[in-house]
Amino acid sequence: MTSPTTVQNSQVQHTQRKYSPFKEFWKSFKKQKAALLASIFIGLLIVVAFIGPYIAPYDPFEPNYDALLEGPSASHLAGTDEYGRDIFSRLIVGAKISLMVSFSAVFLGLILGTILGLISGYFGGWIDKIIMRSCDVLFSFPDLLLAIAIVALLGPGINNVIIAVMIFSVPSFARLVRGATLNAKENVYVEAAQSMGASHVRVLWKHIFPETMSELIIFVTMRIGTAILAASGLSFLGLGASPEMPEWGVMLSSGRDYLGTSSHVVIMPGIAIFLTVLAFNLIGDGLRDVLDPKIKNN
Amino acid sequence: MSEHVLRVTDLETSFTRDKKEIKILRGVNFAIRKGEILGLVGESGSGKSLTSLSIMQLFHGTTGKIVNGSIHFNGEDLTKMSESAIRKIRGKQMAMIFQEPMTSLNPVLKIGKQLMEAIEMHLKLPKNESRHHAIQMLKNVGIGRAEEIIYEYPHQLSGGMRQRVMIAMAMACHPNLLIADEPTTALDVTIQAQILELMKKLKEENETAILLITHDLGVVAEMCDRVVVMYAGQVVEEADVFELFASPKHPYTQGLIASVPKIGDNKEILDSINGQVPSPQNMPNGCKFAPRCNQAMSVCHEESPPTVNISTTRQCSCWLYATKDVKVNA
Amino acid sequence: MPNSILKVENLKKSFQIAGGLFQQKQYVNAVIDVSFEIEEGTTFSLVGESGCGKSTTGRLITRLIAPTNGSIVVDGQEVATAKPSELKHLRQTVQMIFQDPYASLNPRMKVKELVGEPLEIHTKLSKAEREKLVLEMLEVVGLNAEHADRYAHEFSGGQRQRLGIARALITKPKLIIADEPVSALDVSIQSQILNLLKQLQQDYKISYLFISHDLSVVEHISHYIGVMYLGSIVEIGRKETIFNNPKHPYTQALIASVPIADPTLRKKKIVLTGDIPNPKNPPSGCTFHTRCPLASDICKQAIPEMKKINEEQSVACHFVH
Repeated sequence: MTSPTTVQNSQVQHTQRKYSPFKEFWKSFKKQKAALLASIFIGLLIVVAFIGPYIAPYDPFEPNYDALLEGPSASHLAGTDEYGRDIFSRLIVGAKISLMVSFSAVFLGLILGTILGLISGYFGGWIDKIIMRSCDVLFSFPDLLLAIAIVALLGPGINNVIIAVMIFSVPSFARLVRGATLNAKENVYVEAAQSMGASHVRVLWKHIFPETMSELIIFVTMRIGTAILAASGLSFLGLGASPEMPEWGVMLSSGRDYLGTSSHVVIMPGIAIFLTVLAFNLIGDGLRDVLDPKIKNN
Repeated sequence: MSEHVLRVTDLETSFTRDKKEIKILRGVNFAIRKGEILGLVGESGSGKSLTSLSIMQLFHGTTGKIVNGSIHFNGEDLTKMSESAIRKIRGKQMAMIFQEPMTSLNPVLKIGKQLMEAIEMHLKLPKNESRHHAIQMLKNVGIGRAEEIIYEYPHQLSGGMRQRVMIAMAMACHPNLLIADEPTTALDVTIQAQILELMKKLKEENETAILLITHDLGVVAEMCDRVVVMYAGQVVEEADVFELFASPKHPYTQGLIASVPKIGDNKEILDSINGQVPSPQNMPNGCKFAPRCNQAMSVCHEESPPTVNISTTRQCSCWLYATKDVKVNA
Repeated sequence: MPNSILKVENLKKSFQIAGGLFQQKQYVNAVIDVSFEIEEGTTFSLVGESGCGKSTTGRLITRLIAPTNGSIVVDGQEVATAKPSELKHLRQTVQMIFQDPYASLNPRMKVKELVGEPLEIHTKLSKAEREKLVLEMLEVVGLNAEHADRYAHEFSGGQRQRLGIARALITKPKLIIADEPVSALDVSIQSQILNLLKQLQQDYKISYLFISHDLSVVEHISHYIGVMYLGSIVEIGRKETIFNNPKHPYTQALIASVPIADPTLRKKKIVLTGDIPNPKNPPSGCTFHTRCPLASDICKQAIPEMKKINEEQSVACHFVH
């Protein structure tokens, strides 16, 4: 029928418009209204965390003995605490601490957990067993108890809070990444890379790790929420930040005594924690709806 | 009219994606007589599988629907029937076997139970009689140890055995029409030979008409009495099997037959067809095959060709044959 | 054989399927005593049905899995017993094309990265130099330079298989193992790819180990073929000799079972009875005896040896001399 030439030029069949993975993602993510709103909130929070000290109406550390325990008003949007310090300013500056602690802890846990998960899932055998059994040991402790134990060992302070939260995040990440790695390993293109002579590092980095990313991203956002709660919890128990720092958990703790009389001292940081954790969870939900391949295939 | 078991006229089926309706089948026409094996041939994107699903009206859970045309089965129009009326026909007078027997057999039910379910529903036999009937059907399809098989699960059987079970289920109620959608594509060649032999034998014994859907021209040449060639959701040629292979009329059919390697051919280079099948969203104007056709004329790019009766047994949708005798298929 | 690029001798592979520390170990013999040779610039096909071990053989040669026993000599180097670190040369000399054009290309990589990956692994060329070679190779396989910035899923099945071929060719290998390279493609596209493979063999003097179940395709593209059944080669030799005069009963049945796209050639089939046995439970002696029309007592007891019956054909059957 046609001239029996062996090589013909063929056209790409779809759109001429360039495909970009990010554009595809954004198109779907835009539809998740709740997640979008939550992202804006977190975005603002991050901005506030950076410029907080400059925009806070009052100095968060300076006491004002003339305005003790005042309720929310025009001059003090969130009222004042037992030392007369403006709660709103303290919340703003505290945002930086909360976000920094949770981001660092989760990020470090992510890196360590991912490396362990990749090695475990890819190589299998005895190294897999060792890593997974160690994670099982850590899993057997309730999160907060483990964190308390670690901080008790290392001593109180913000840095140790980060370490504690990081440690109890690692097993979750490792297990998640291991599962995703086991799946990704089955892909034919992984076999293709191996038969080409790609080193293990290359296969893991270029062909397997990208497959785990979408699940990781979802998990990270959820985990930040957990980390904030954990850090606040530790601080509430007096194991984390020191009392004069405007960390939200500490504010909750010191406001405990005034719950009956000036409840705003407790409610305000409580709302801050609640909204932030909620926002991260909503973002995580939205991302899952967009990225999770199991849902996508429906 | 009355000797046709199935008559499909101007069938158009569409799917909805992203709120847009996309037409996949664009006017399919063919008919099957009693006891005849009609081959429906096409590559991916031809719409052949969708045609069988449309005939069986198996659209649950999808956005597919028939938007035009009629499907006359034993004289009645299926497109105008209610779901409950069609359900009485499905499995009884009209049965279907699929490519992947593993996914069409229920993995958690024993073989006997699945077979008997079909028998009890359509033939209304009591339990012990239906078990006897099931064993008989399994023996008919060449399964020697039928009495043992009825207590086994699908995953315990080989691919060939599972396909035999599917055929037994389909034939259990002696249907007038069997639709076989790529029934041997997933099977090894020696097993395929067994299954094709079996289908021929059953056809002879029961006078069942078979709509055999496949992309394999060898299977078509072995099994079919008549052939319908589909491309991009339309029928491009219909002919008796010997005529089709001896002198294919439509350029697509010619290209297809020329690109199949045949044992003993000794061709140094195979013919091939340039380009690829257009996607349903990007259908060209005029004849859908024109962009790939090396005999295309200017009219081919502008207007869809009519269906021409080349002889009493042949039809072809191509402008090459439409000059003198333009007769549209009634 | 002069200029042999690949020589496989007594290759064996067993997989452990059950058993451990305290249980009886169970094995599946996927490849049993396979021997063949491939000459430079020719195509040798391994053909057979499910469970015959042809795909496993392909993977053994690229050392994706390690053989249990036997010798594999590629371009003069023994690779069966080589340590993973010594296999760099093998991985440049032998490349693979896979069956599934959709699964064998990483969906997150752009075409130029995909096709250029072997160069990144084996050479020290700069990014620009690699890209230049990639663009050249795209033209060779019938695609355009403008495709280099796209993602694999934007292409059709046939085009993706061309990408796979471009990727396999880019390090100028001497042997390409093609595992069912056209089975997943439409017939009209299949012929394009087969023609391309033949052309490339002529231009680059590549040898192919072509693995397939499709006898028509195998007949078209091969110079020599080996017919496999349940892990062993039952007949091996020149393509023309085997297709014109198959001696082993399995080969005869196999060739006769293939439906030919010509209704005037509807022939009486040799329809084998029974199913292909499960490799976990192979029949004794000659594994084909359960389905063989010629089977007799000796077939149940003894495994037939491979006998050379003429210059161009060897058969493993008790009844063929």
